[in-house]
Formats: sequence, structure tokens, C-alpha cells
Amino acid sequence: MIARELALAVWVSLKTSGLAAVIASALAVPAALFLAGREFRGKKLILAVNQTWMAAPTVVIGLLFYSLLSRNGPLGGLGLLYTQAAMTVGQIFLILPLITGFSYTALRQVDRRARLTALTLGATGRQAGWIVLREARFPLLVAVLAGFARAVSEVGIAMMLGGNIRYATRNITTSIALETAKGEFRNGVVLGVLLLVLTLGINYLVQAGLRGRDGGA
Amino acid sequence: MAGLVYRLDRVAYAYPQAPGPFSLELEALTIAEGEVLALVGPNGAGKTTLLMLLAFLLRPARGRLDFLGRDPWAETDGAAEARREAVLLTHHPYLFKGTIADNVAFGLKLRKFPEAETRARAAAALSLVELDGWGGRSVSGLSAGQAQRVALARALALRPRVLLLDEPTANLDAALGLRMEAVLREAGHDWGTTVVFSTHNFSQASRLADAIFYLSEGRRVEFSHENCFSGTTATDGRTSWIEPKPGVRIVFPGETRGHVTCVIDPSAIRLTSAGGGAAPPSGPNVFRGRVSRMETTDAATALVRVSGDLVFRATVPVGELEAGGISLSREVLLTFEPRSVKVVGERPAEVG
Repeated sequence: MIARELALAVWVSLKTSGLAAVIASALAVPAALFLAGREFRGKKLILAVNQTWMAAPTVVIGLLFYSLLSRNGPLGGLGLLYTQAAMTVGQIFLILPLITGFSYTALRQVDRRARLTALTLGATGRQAGWIVLREARFPLLVAVLAGFARAVSEVGIAMMLGGNIRYATRNITTSIALETAKGEFRNGVVLGVLLLVLTLGINYLVQAGLRGRDGGA
Repeated sequence: MAGLVYRLDRVAYAYPQAPGPFSLELEALTIAEGEVLALVGPNGAGKTTLLMLLAFLLRPARGRLDFLGRDPWAETDGAAEARREAVLLTHHPYLFKGTIADNVAFGLKLRKFPEAETRARAAAALSLVELDGWGGRSVSGLSAGQAQRVALARALALRPRVLLLDEPTANLDAALGLRMEAVLREAGHDWGTTVVFSTHNFSQASRLADAIFYLSEGRRVEFSHENCFSGTTATDGRTSWIEPKPGVRIVFPGETRGHVTCVIDPSAIRLTSAGGGAAPPSGPNVFRGRVSRMETTDAATALVRVSGDLVFRATVPVGELEAGGISLSREVLLTFEPRSVKVVGERPAEVG
């Protein structure tokens, strides 16, 4: 496996999963803020569905989007199948419930007086919402990083929606699968270590975030 | 005459799932600019609810609440604008994560004060609450009293038009509480700030306030809550009574049914020494108790607390104390006329 191919695989992993984490967070965190701040009929059902969705296998999500994006599927005209965009869309769908669930828990743990205090000091409702997010910034960071870690380490969606195309949609996990299938275990192990280093790096960021929270509280 | 800051007209508020129609119901209340008003009442009297209404954190379910001549709830963003003028310090204040200086500067930053002025005001406010030089410290690990002072500094830094305080000295020791009272007086005097605070402490209310507003069970009552007793009435058609404790009756004239609060004017209570062999007075509303506290409100009048089956507070001319043999820990007889019992908060009795 040549260095350029390896570098591209790493880049594809970081790009698709990073983008998926950013987009999923932009959807999940406001949703969690809404859920955490209100009581309404159907909330328990939404939380239960979210929790169930968290456990969805990646290949099932891959299969679902494959059927949607394939030439004969309802979204086939978009021409997204076997592109990085398709991988990102699938990964968003994978990690959305995870980030929502973690964010909801993080925001529920913020003292309810935080919003009230912000309001008493002259904040608008929107500013008070930001204050609540700021108070939960470290657990929210953990939620986002956990989502990214989940996306970067999955293989089912990347394989089914990306197609493992060399120099295009091949990422670290699909490369590992390919190298192992070819019998190139050494390459597989190197890629595995690389993925491990990436994951450990993310974990380090999470730990640093937690240390910051403990120190700054 | 100073202008009005607040005018409340038939304001009522109901908490969801709370029993009864309204948790707080006030006919009228006006608060003038620069006034210091104390809200006094027992737990559950509605003091915090009233403060939350005055801080525009709760919207009245009924009635009109004017602030500086306008009804903020009738205007788009009116409540948020009013909150910038009327700052509430809650009973258990919350401090945001970060440093003490971050917290004290919070409201100033929201109002986009220049950086230099923000720093200067925050330092001055910390100095007022005797936390000079504490700005750089983290809020974690502060005691309840220190947190209360930081929260007070955070409110004072804004120099708001109205300062609303829910039991502001509850977490402070007596000496510090007195110093913080001085700070509140200064704020009222120097900045013309209108101060509304709640307290259980009648003495604190007397020391600090221009006026005292007594609350009991969400209604205005005329006197201190120590002479407020609630219960379901019984009647013989000519008089009615409640029994705040089994066998202990407070009698008042007329036929009244339902759940009521009886308020007895402290000046309507007569105290006589229980010793001396004289026959105890006969008739209703005679109680035996022991003097558990005495304090003078001015040179001529003493407030005497008598603890027995019920706790009463009576005002007695100072000259009568010695003549009547009334002193601390002495056993006394306490009487008042049925007609001096004011019955408030009358509601129909619940059926079934």
C-alpha cells in the first residue's frame, strides 16, 4: 500500500466523519436543548426511539441508505451512491441519536437555576439558552467527540455507501477490510494501529475536556 | 413625590397542579421609586412568587402589573427589557462556572459595557461585599455565605433600578448579615435603587424597610405572620372558631364557614402576669404562655413574643412591662377580644 493511498484513506476518514460529527451536532444539540428544557406529551416516546436508534447496526443503516440512493431508489437521481457525501449522510444518521442522547443527559445535568439566573441578570431567552449550553460545554464536547469516534471507526456504512473506491471513498476502516481480505495482514495491522492512534487522540481530547471541567467548575 | 416603579392591580398567579384557584392573589400594591419594601410571611406565603412576578420571570394569570408606567407583558420583548432594570437575587443563588470576576461581570457583559468599566464596576461590587481581590478565584469551593456575597456583588455591579432579593442574608452569619444590610441601605441611598426583599425576620424588616408588606397563604394580611393562624371553621351560628391545634380555639364573631386565616393585631393583645393569685380572665381567646423574646421597636413600645400552645407577638407600651410584671421567661396570660380577630382568605369549604 503506497503512502499516498494511505494518506488519502486517512483524509477521507477524517473528512467524512468530521463533517458528519459537525452536521449531526448542529442538529442534535439544539434538539437536546429543546428536549431538556421542556415537558410535553410524546417526549418519552421520542427519547425511547432515540435510545433504540442508538443501537442500530451500521450495516442496517448502510443497507437503508443504499436502497434509497441506489439507481432504482427514490433518491437515486441525486447520484450520491459511492461518494464521500453518501458516507457522510449515512454517518450523520448513525451518530445523530448518540450525540442527541449524550447531549440531552449533559443538559439535564445543568442546574436548572442556570437559565433562571441568566434571565434575572438580563439575558434574553436565546442568551439564556446559550448560557445553559456554555455551562454544559465539556459534557457536550464529550458527546460530539463520542459521535466522531463512532463515525470514524465504523465500516458498514463506509463500505456500502462509499464502495471502497481507491483514491475516492476508501477510508481507514474499509482499507483494513480490503487488506485483510487480500491476506496483507501487515498492512491491516498498520492501518489498525493508525485508527487506534486516532481514537486514542480523541480520547485524550475527551479526558482533557473533563479535566478542564473539573478545574474550572 | 417619587414616581411609581410598580403598580399591581388585582394580580393573581397560579402554579400548575397547585390546589386552589390562585397561589398568589393581591388586590393592589404600589412601590415607589427609591422605596425599600420588605415582604414578610411564613414559608409558602407567596413571597418568592411575588418577587418572581416583580422580576418578570412569571407572568400574572390575571390582573395588570405595570412597571414604570407600562405593562411589559403587553409588549414584545417587554419582559426581557424590564428584567434589565429589575434584577432578582434568588434565595439559593447559582454561580456560573468560572471565576468570581466572570460571575460579577456577567450582567455587565450582557449589557455590553466597555471592558474597563466592567472591570472597575466588578471590583467595586466585590469591595462592597468585602471580597476585595477575590476576582481571580474559581467559584468552586465557595461556602454558601461566600456564594451569596458573590451573587449580591453580581447584582450590585449592575446598579439596577430595582433590586429584588429573596432572603438576602439567609446564608450569612449575624455580623455579616448586618454589614450586608448596610450595603443594601447604601445602594438604595446612593443609587436611588428601589429595593424589595423577602425575609422571615421581622426585626430585619423593621430595620431596613420603609414599608412592610405581610403575606400569608398568597394573600396580603395586615400584620406579622406570627399572629396568623389558619384552619377550617366551626360555628354555633353566633360565633365561629378555628382550632390551629386540637382543643386550642381562636374565636371570632359571626357565622363563617370554610378555610380561613385569622390575624390578630399585636396591639390588640393584652398581657398580664400569670402569677399573683388573681383569677384568670374568663371567656374566649385566653391563652397561657411564657415570654420567649422581647425587643423594643422604639423608645415607647416593646415587641413581646409569647410561646405557649400557640406563639403570639404582642406590642406593649414599655411602661406597662414593669408595672404588669412582664419579663423574659415569665409566665403570662394573653387575651384578645373576638372582634379584634381579622378573618382573611376565606374560601368555601371543600365538600367530601
